[in-house]
Amino acid sequence: MLRVKSPQDLGAGLVFVLIGLAGLYFGSDLAFGTAARMGPGYFPILLSAMIAAVGLIVGLRGVTIDGPPIEPVQLRPIVFIIAAILIFGFLIESIGLALTAILLTVFAGYARRDVKLSETIVLGVALAAFTVVVFVYVLGQPLPAWWGR
Amino acid sequence: MEFDLFHNLATGFGAALSLKNVGFALIGCLLGTLIGVLPGIGPIPTIAMLLPITFGLEPLSSLIMLAGIYYGAQYGGSTTSILVNIPGEAGSIVTCLDGHQMARQGRAGAALGVAALGSFFAGCVGTIFIAAFGPPLAAIAQEFNSPDYFSLMVLGLVTAVILAHGSVIKAVGMVLVGLLFGLVGTDVNSGLTRYTFGVSDLWDGIDFLPLVIGMFGIVEVIRNLEQATLPRPQFSAKIKDLWPSMKDFRDSWRAVLRGTGLGSILGILPGGGAVLAAFASYTLEKKLAKDPSRFGRGAIEGVAGPESANNAAAQTSFIPLLTLGLPSNAIMALMMGAMIIQGIQPGSAVMTKRPDLFWGMVASMWIGNLMLLVINLPLIGLWVRLLSVPYRLLYPAILLFCVIGIYSTNTNTAQLVLCAVFAVFGYVMLRFGCEPAPLVLGFILGPLMEENLRRSLVISRGDPMVFFERPISAVLLAATVALIALIVLPQFRKTREEAFQE
Repeated sequence: MLRVKSPQDLGAGLVFVLIGLAGLYFGSDLAFGTAARMGPGYFPILLSAMIAAVGLIVGLRGVTIDGPPIEPVQLRPIVFIIAAILIFGFLIESIGLALTAILLTVFAGYARRDVKLSETIVLGVALAAFTVVVFVYVLGQPLPAWWGR
Repeated sequence: MEFDLFHNLATGFGAALSLKNVGFALIGCLLGTLIGVLPGIGPIPTIAMLLPITFGLEPLSSLIMLAGIYYGAQYGGSTTSILVNIPGEAGSIVTCLDGHQMARQGRAGAALGVAALGSFFAGCVGTIFIAAFGPPLAAIAQEFNSPDYFSLMVLGLVTAVILAHGSVIKAVGMVLVGLLFGLVGTDVNSGLTRYTFGVSDLWDGIDFLPLVIGMFGIVEVIRNLEQATLPRPQFSAKIKDLWPSMKDFRDSWRAVLRGTGLGSILGILPGGGAVLAAFASYTLEKKLAKDPSRFGRGAIEGVAGPESANNAAAQTSFIPLLTLGLPSNAIMALMMGAMIIQGIQPGSAVMTKRPDLFWGMVASMWIGNLMLLVINLPLIGLWVRLLSVPYRLLYPAILLFCVIGIYSTNTNTAQLVLCAVFAVFGYVMLRFGCEPAPLVLGFILGPLMEENLRRSLVISRGDPMVFFERPISAVLLAATVALIALIVLPQFRKTREEAFQE
């Protein structure tokens, strides 16, 4: 029975193996060619195989050599920060920078446990005003400031 | 030669010293410092975040502003390291060691002053170094053929792997994954799309901005939020006396000279750069010191040496990029990305075809360094006040600047989805003990490596011996093998572990 000695190595090894296998699988319909006439699949397949091999080595180390544990993952920060990014991405075109900036700030705010909604909204409005003025009007970046345009 | 040097520098200063360009250098320095000084934001996310602002400018102005941002970001990072003890990147860990101890002893002013003056001196020397050695190295670069380029990239990636924090084999994995990610999109040779999964947004490949901002900037924010206590300055004393005392000068000038020399040389090496230089200089100063036990307790040489070294290396690491078109570290990879967006393919052709651009950039490096000294030192109070802004108010702003930066480069929702994906990926890999920097370098080099491998093998009709038959390539590969041998030898391995322990 194998015992996990270094969870970090085992995890990294698994990810590498997965990426390597995915690279091989999705690259399998690309022509490999020969060394003298490399096809579009030559280098990617070579790399994918190497990634999978490295993954195997790292994974094997994970069950043979002792290593540090994986720090516990806290879901709250990562979920809210990622949500904030996606909300910005999907809404900016339709409702504009001013509103999305406030929404992003509020969502990002909830990444912390002891968030104060009122403070976060004030911050959001301030950031929205600042970024609309600086990025849209002063720097002329291609962002819609308001909804409906 | 002598005459050429001055003539060239005159061309450069002529181009860089227009009111407009000085203005952009100033804005770049200020913005770079402003973002770079925020705790936990190293030079890489700072530059990535501010890159889009430079896209609308004409090439020279844009590169000048970018150089300003780069130096500002580095200087801002040192300030944070000294005052708050939060290194933005591996390189500033060294500055934290003694710099922060000095700050605790009420000598923050002297530490900041020595760091700034040392950096300025090193920056001047580094600039002259580029001006003097750039052209001869570019001449050598013209002798480079595909096999040589390929071998040089192998050497650079191996060096980057060895210098990466933590496990070597995991860094190898990250480099390879980076190379593979770099190949996503349309293959230039066959016109076929690779690994796009039917997503048309991936036809042009993965944009490096979402990748870099996701894996560095966003991951950093998430990690800071996971800590029970959010980062905040650990000092209360006011900063007085920015000018170091006579004794400080006496104690540090040798360290500055040594750091500058060491940094200038280490910066040129493939895979080298500011981080390596700072570590090397710290180790050297500690070895040379009469009383090494002072190090880690506020030894001024421990600030002066590494700060000079990292700035010198920051300058000279432009040499491989500007002469060979190859970035030696993740920051240079960003610079290369920015140049390509401006329509400039970095390489020796820049020097011959656009001398105003090349020499203008060299001159702007010096101008940027001068600006840091004359503008940022007096403004230190402002940066300190910025540091005392609570993190709970800062991170939403950081996040917002990141997403605006990504979105405004090509107004496309898919880029933000990519950024989110890479943030999660970077976070998971960091949990598994894999640093993102090697991946970024591999990502930028992926297409270049494939192209040079293809060309080499076409020339040799598929015979891999071509890499050993050409003298330049053979020497580079021999150096690579020597490096690998070093890392396998137990004695060096111990030194490397010790170096990262500190």
